[in-house]
This record gives sequence, C-alpha cells and structure tokens, in this order.
Amino acid sequence: MASFLLRRLLALIPVLILVLVIVFSLVRLIPGDPAVTLLGPGATDQQIAALRAQMRLDEPFYLQFINYVIGLFHGDMGISLKSGAPVLSEIMVRLPATLELALSATLVAILVGIPIGVLSATRPNSLFDHFTRVFSLVGVSMPAFLLALILQLIFATYLGWLPVSGRLSPYIIMQPITGFVIIDGILTGQWDVVWSAIRYLVLPTAVLAAFLAATLGRFVRNTMLEVMSEDFIRTARAKGLSRSQVIIQHGLRNSLLPAITVIGLKFAEMLGGAILTETIFAWPGIGRFMFEAIKNRDYPVIQGTTLVFSLLFMLTSVLVDLLYGVIDPRVRKRMK
Amino acid sequence: MKPLLLFLRKNPLATLGGIVLLAILLAVIVGPWLSPYGPTKLDVLNKLQGPSLAHWLGTDSLGRDVFTRVLHGGRFTLAIGIGVVAIAFAVGVFFGTLAGYVGGPIDMVIMRFVDAMLSFPALVLAIALAAAFGPSLNNAMLAVAITLAPQFARVARSQALAISVKPYVEAAVSLGLLTRRILWRYVFANGLGPLLVQASLSIGSAILQTASLGFLGLGAQPPLSEWGADVSSNLQYLRESPWVALSPGMAILFTVLCFNLIGDNLADWFNPRRRNELD
Repeated sequence: MASFLLRRLLALIPVLILVLVIVFSLVRLIPGDPAVTLLGPGATDQQIAALRAQMRLDEPFYLQFINYVIGLFHGDMGISLKSGAPVLSEIMVRLPATLELALSATLVAILVGIPIGVLSATRPNSLFDHFTRVFSLVGVSMPAFLLALILQLIFATYLGWLPVSGRLSPYIIMQPITGFVIIDGILTGQWDVVWSAIRYLVLPTAVLAAFLAATLGRFVRNTMLEVMSEDFIRTARAKGLSRSQVIIQHGLRNSLLPAITVIGLKFAEMLGGAILTETIFAWPGIGRFMFEAIKNRDYPVIQGTTLVFSLLFMLTSVLVDLLYGVIDPRVRKRMK
Repeated sequence: MKPLLLFLRKNPLATLGGIVLLAILLAVIVGPWLSPYGPTKLDVLNKLQGPSLAHWLGTDSLGRDVFTRVLHGGRFTLAIGIGVVAIAFAVGVFFGTLAGYVGGPIDMVIMRFVDAMLSFPALVLAIALAAAFGPSLNNAMLAVAITLAPQFARVARSQALAISVKPYVEAAVSLGLLTRRILWRYVFANGLGPLLVQASLSIGSAILQTASLGFLGLGAQPPLSEWGADVSSNLQYLRESPWVALSPGMAILFTVLCFNLIGDNLADWFNPRRRNELD
C-alpha cells in the first residue's frame, strides 16, 4: 500500500508542474503590464517599479516561474493586494469552512443518493424509478445559484426556519481550535454552538448535495442494474440468501467501486459550486474569498485559491484510488 | 432521416425535450418581435409589478417587462451554449485527433496538458480564466470553452487511436495521401459519432457554466440581457418581487433540462450495451 501511494504521488508530479504553469500564467494573461494591473489606477511609478522588482518581471519567463515555485515550497503564495496579509495564511483561515461544507454535502449526497439508486434498481420502471430519473435530471440541470436562491427564499425568508446566510449566529463568539466550528463546539462542550452551526449549515449543504445526490442516484441505479444480472448474483440467490443480503452484500458492494469514482470526480464540480454557494450564503470559505478577490482584482488571491482548489481535487483522486483498495480485495492485491 | 425517427419513437422523453427546446428556440427568435415592450424600455411608474395579463412575468425595478427580457436574454444564452461547445469541439478534437494519430512525444505532451487542465474543477478554472481575460461575454465564453475542450480531446484521442490501426487508414498511408487529408477524411470522419454525443452532453454544462460566470459578474455586462447576469442583477428585489430574479433562472433550468434529456438519451442510444436494454 505504501509503495502504491508513493508511485501514485510521483505520477502526479508532471501534472502538478503543468498545473503550476497554468496558475502562474493566469496573471500573465492579463493584457498589459502585470505590475500596473495588479496595483490598479493611481499607483505611483515608484510602487510599480518596486512591484516589478519584487515579481522579477525583468527576468526571463522561466526564471520567474522557478522563483514562483521555490516561493510556493516556502509557503509563499504572495501578498493579498486587498488586505496586505500573506495569501497562504488568509486561505488557511478560510479552508476549514469550505471543507466543512464540502464534506457535509458529500455525506448527505451519499446518504440520499445511494439508497435512491439501490431502491430504483431493485424496482426498475416503477413509479419510484421514474421519480428518481426526473429528480436526477432536474438535479443536474439546475443552476446552483437558482436552487440556492429558491431554498433561501422558502426556508429562510418566508418560513423563517433557518438563517438566511452566514456560518454562525453573530451573538456567538468562538475561539477557533481546529477551525471546524462543529468539531470545536463538541470539543469544548458548547452544544448551543453546535446547534447554531448545524442550522447555518443546512441550506448551503442542501444546495451542494442536490447535484451530487442526483448524479449518484442515477449512476448507482445503472451500475446496480448491470451487476444484478451477473452470474454471482444468481448463485447468491440459489444458495438461499435473503433478498436484502443479495442486494446489499453482493449487489451494492460490487456497484460501490464505480460509485466512488463518480463521487471523487463530482467532488471537483462541487468545489466549483462552492464558489456560487458560499457567495450566496455568505459562507466564509475560500470560494467566497475567490469571488471577492475577483471583484477586487486581487490576482495573488485568485492564483492562490485556484491552486488550492486544484490541489484539493488531486488529493481527492489519490484518496479515491486508495479507497478502491480498501473496498476491493482484488485491487488491494494489485497495489502490492 | 429514418434513424432519427426511430430514435425519437424509442425515446419519448428525448422527443419531449426536443419539442420544448424548439418551442423555446421559436419563442426567443420570434417572441421579441411580437412583444409590445422593448427589453430596455423603461416605465418607472409600473415598476416591480406582479405577473398580470399585461406583463406575464411582471416588471423589474425599472419597469421593464420581465418576459420580454427573458426572451431577449434567451437569444444570448442559446447562442452561448452552442458557440461554446463549437469552440471546445474544434480545439479539443484538433489536439485529441493529432495526439491519438501521431503518438509519441507529441501525444505525451498534449495528454499531460489535458490531465493538468482536468485537475482543476472546471468552474474554478473558468472563473480564474475569465477573471484574467477581463469581464465580458466573449471572454466568459472563451474561458468555458477552454475548460470543456480537454474532454473532447480525450474522446477524440481514443477514437483516433482505435481508427489509426484500421486497414483503410493503412491503405490511405500506403497510397501516399497527405497526413492532413488522412486525419480529416479518415480519422476524424469515422470517429464522429461519440464526439457528437459528447457535444450534445456538453451544451447543458456550457450554458450552466456561462450563466454561473454571468451570475458572478464575469459574463455579459449591463445593459446586455443574459439569463445568469439577469438573476444576480435583480437579487436585491428577491424578497418582495421574486419573479424578477427567478424567471431567467427558471428559463436556464428548462433549457438545460431539455438539452440534457436529448443528450442523455443519445448517449444511451450510441452505447451498444445500454441499447440492447432499450430494444
């Protein structure tokens, strides 16, 4: 397993270098002198010259790139033009909020999507099956921002059951330990904090989870249908296992592998959706941070958040490969 | 024509999607001519009115007729979806076919680049590119097209790999045809089916992504009417007059739903394993 992980990480290096080239080039794509653009109107010649020197804009492109990468290895993602603070520390403060949202959405999507898919597959062409199909098609066709606005309007504005936006009641002041509000609340035994955090989490989670649950439901249904026509299912039935044992231990377990691939892939789309969701719900994560950076033309932050999103995606894909081994003994054997 | 009719008869949902899509297309092309209001015609005395016979979807904060604006915005949104996929198709298929047919180091470089592009969440990359290019509708379309192109490159490459070992390609090579001609007339032409399926599946996400950029202010700039931007520019009236912001949003949902219904069924149709199931 360890050697597999090492090989998998090594294989990422060429891709990672190209990802860094793309992120690095982002600022160079802006028409005109990057230093002038970065500083915006009203910058003095001195400031521009200073930034040009700091960014080493007079050096050849490849040297600039190498310096950028060396900087990254020292944790230097540049300085936010808006706040003047290092980009990395600004991102680290906001990262737990995004992870909290993405993980809870993934969890909800799995808990909703997989049972829906399994139930549909065991009753193909039933009313429930048609419902699943419509649900999944609407789910993938729905603009995330539209769903967010509709839920916000119904559950927060009209019914008043849930807060409109934010991450925690403004009356609660919390010293972050891990940065994950719910975990911090549990650690310190402040149950009112946990309750408040969950209430704020519900709507953004629902928006992000809807898309993934829709895709997952339909996908699990289709794989389950294929698996359930295999010979080993007939064998399992023939040896007298109960229906639920056949479906869960033989059918579902063999459908999980492709399902995990889909979860991993869609996790990326969810990170993209997090930009919209976090912006609408004023969720203080890196998605909203990126949106604000775009409004402020804060290019170092745009670069930094883009890179972090991409790293998160790459890590997920490695994690997915490792999960294969955990679930499937055949894959585990090949990993050795 | 015959295979098309067979496809439509076997896939009622795709037929429904097609009919609704044609209706939407007709509405956005003809509608603005029939509407008594202009998309930018102000009528401040009648601002933020609810849906009525005179204004089917009410009026916005400047008294403009929402239904007329949705029809106008639809022209852009539909053109965007098709335009973005056309660009992504051209770029992706060119590099993918080249990589699959030529192989060797060219293949290696192109495909590593494709891998790197696919290592970004698509919307994140589109947003970053659109931010770098500067906010405008053309730049947003270009940004989304760039993020969609790698998928076309992957499909085109695998098609080219399979086709380049076929006897007819070998024959063409031994006849001394130009590589350019072989790529176009043999490799590309014979691998078109799966690429068209990919294209039909991509139109929905192209519209969704461009609308998302518009919503974030990176797409069409006012007074241009585009569905995504129209949602966000009316957000402040969401509480009192939800129809103003939600109407263009619902229009996106229905249009994308139609494209997905067609694309989904086409994909099943061209997938031999699933096709047996349908027969």
